Amino acid sequence: MKLTEDDIYRTSTQYRNWSFTPTQLALQRQKTNQQASERVKAAVARQRAQRVRQPQADTASTSESERNGSGIENGSSTPIPVGDQEVNCLTVEEEMKLVDTFCEKALDLGKFCNFPTEVTATCIQFLRRFYLFNSPMTYEGQNISRTAMFIANKAESYFLNAENYAARFGPKATAEKVLAPEYLIIQALRYNLDVRHPFRGLKGGHLELIELANGNLAALPSATETPAELQAQMLLLPRKPDGPATRMSIAELEKRITDAYGFASHILKTAALLTDAYFLYTPSHIWLSAHLLADEPLTLFYLSTKLPSSSPMAAKTLATIRSCATLLSSHRSFNSDRIPPSEKDARDKKEKEEVQVLVKKLRQCRDPDKIDLVKLNQAQKRDAVEGGGLEENKAKRRKLQREGYQKEAEDFWGPELAKGENREGK
Amino acid sequence: MSKPAPRATGSSTKDGGASFLSNSLHSLSIQHQFPSKPARSVPADSSSDICPVCKSSRYLNPNMKFLVNPECYHKMCESCVDRIFSHGPAPCPIAGCKRTLRKAKFRSQTFEDLKVEREVDIRRRVARVMNKVEADFESLKDFNDYLESVETTTWNLILKVDVEATERRLRLWEAAQKAETNSTKRSLVEDPSLLSETSHVILKKGGTQRKQQLGSTDDPLAGSGNDPETGFVFHGLKKRVAPEPEKPYDPYEGWSIDPQYYVVQDDYSVDWLTKAKDDPVHSVGGYDMRDFYSRALSDAFSGFGVFIEDEKTLEENPGATAAVASGGQDVNMDDVF
Repeated sequence: MKLTEDDIYRTSTQYRNWSFTPTQLALQRQKTNQQASERVKAAVARQRAQRVRQPQADTASTSESERNGSGIENGSSTPIPVGDQEVNCLTVEEEMKLVDTFCEKALDLGKFCNFPTEVTATCIQFLRRFYLFNSPMTYEGQNISRTAMFIANKAESYFLNAENYAARFGPKATAEKVLAPEYLIIQALRYNLDVRHPFRGLKGGHLELIELANGNLAALPSATETPAELQAQMLLLPRKPDGPATRMSIAELEKRITDAYGFASHILKTAALLTDAYFLYTPSHIWLSAHLLADEPLTLFYLSTKLPSSSPMAAKTLATIRSCATLLSSHRSFNSDRIPPSEKDARDKKEKEEVQVLVKKLRQCRDPDKIDLVKLNQAQKRDAVEGGGLEENKAKRRKLQREGYQKEAEDFWGPELAKGENREGK
Repeated sequence: MSKPAPRATGSSTKDGGASFLSNSLHSLSIQHQFPSKPARSVPADSSSDICPVCKSSRYLNPNMKFLVNPECYHKMCESCVDRIFSHGPAPCPIAGCKRTLRKAKFRSQTFEDLKVEREVDIRRRVARVMNKVEADFESLKDFNDYLESVETTTWNLILKVDVEATERRLRLWEAAQKAETNSTKRSLVEDPSLLSETSHVILKKGGTQRKQQLGSTDDPLAGSGNDPETGFVFHGLKKRVAPEPEKPYDPYEGWSIDPQYYVVQDDYSVDWLTKAKDDPVHSVGGYDMRDFYSRALSDAFSGFGVFIEDEKTLEENPGATAAVASGGQDVNMDDVF
């Protein structure tokens, strides 16, 4: 009974629950958006009806909801849309754009807190997974990403104190706010906390490439060429795709491999995280396509050592990797280093404006039921009511019950032993 | 003891084929009861109060306890046993009985009738050696035949018919059984006389008896060609199948990882690894760089041959609605509040 690498990957939750075809992904986003919009509309309509019913309490309730909302920064002070016009909900594209913005913010957050790359990467994947089944209209990005980062730290075994963590975000953030949506997120992630990243895979590939370049990589059982032959071929690889063959020394080749590794790793840390790559491709394909973008001839050569071009899988694998590479290179972070700064600034500015508009729009269409997550979290707990106190009759009943239990126990076990006084008396 | 057959297969096997012999044996035992009775059992009331050896009576010593030795089943009081046998084996003090008795074997009797006591002892002994069950035989008839011969053996011993030969067969059988169960330790009966020593219950006294015994134990050695003598041969007895030796525990239950696309080497000469490799902080903790290599390579190629688009489409098609519905279900979970 043998397991191949692919069988191992098929057992992972990332494959079973969090891998989709592009169609499935689009359908799911459509569905989430539709559900969230309906919910927002229903909630707003309900609030309006309530307000009509009790016009005298109107002003009070509005101000209260504003007060609640103002505790949460970044577009959560939600003035409930006045007037009878339909709520203008976000479209799927707008939602995606917002989620991408949240993810970029999370990347900054990770940098700000000096968290390891894999923690940030896990956090971003958590966010993407969360917002695949939940809409930004329902749950607001900032709080969710802070909590997702907190969970990601735990999932990657970097344990933090919630208070210390919250203290980094200024005086308004509290541990309670960080912890409030924790269960909500975990639940939306379907308790799948393992994210398979391509980072270590890239390292493994790098190890093999270096060994190949030195001509002493252990050959696969199916290999037809000796390591020395492979090394000779490798030294003749062209610099550019379809370029002329060049002769390199081993040191040059090693430098080339290391450069490719650096660039691929950069892509994995930015573009791969900020696109849907994790949903659409396996980590193995992701790192190979990042490597392909970094150094195409080298990657193609490496692939040919793994899959002879005659095998039916070779063409298919290459097509998959190329499509993944297209996806990665389509992200604007991919070539931000190469384009002139003025153009880049202009693009960033435009992007920023677009996001600003979206955030403004989001404010108009937040789900009023889900604004205060802290309160929601409390409400879910046993007997939690506003003000922290129990209702009077409930508290009384509890007390009576407790006394009843105590009496029962005393009848059975005898009364509690007197402490202290007896011993002193003796 | 014979078990009735669930259905009659013929006139001879009506009740497992054991009826005639067991009936005759039973009648034989009844016949023998009377002549053997006066030899040992004196009327119970008088003898239970007076020790036949020292003639002291319970009347004078209310704590008096009578003991018997399963060698000859002669009764005597505790103080006599202490007196006579404290210094080692001695002949039985009852007139006419010359058996050598040992103190350790004396015990208080369980049954009032010493004949019953003796029969129970013999039955126990035989049952310990001949302990096959029905499942060990191919058919019910074979099992009943076996029970028949067990019963014959038992009655031979009880009625003292052919005792020597029966004892010998029993010993051989016991040795054979032992050899079979500990087949890993001892493949064959190397020295049956040595083995049979353990199962000696009746201590031989006379030199003639000893000689006889030696002669009898010589037989299996002489007679054993390729097949050692087992004392009994039962038709239809299944060969004992030794249980398989336990295999070493395998936590993966036979599964192993068989990478297709890579071969892990013991070492990789890469610059950025040298620091970690030489760092005692890692090696002291038991960290093996090979773990890292195999994990990195496994990560590099896990999912290399998995084409999500194809596989998920395939997965979706048989139960397209189910897949979507299950996704939707989870989303609605957050509606609890």
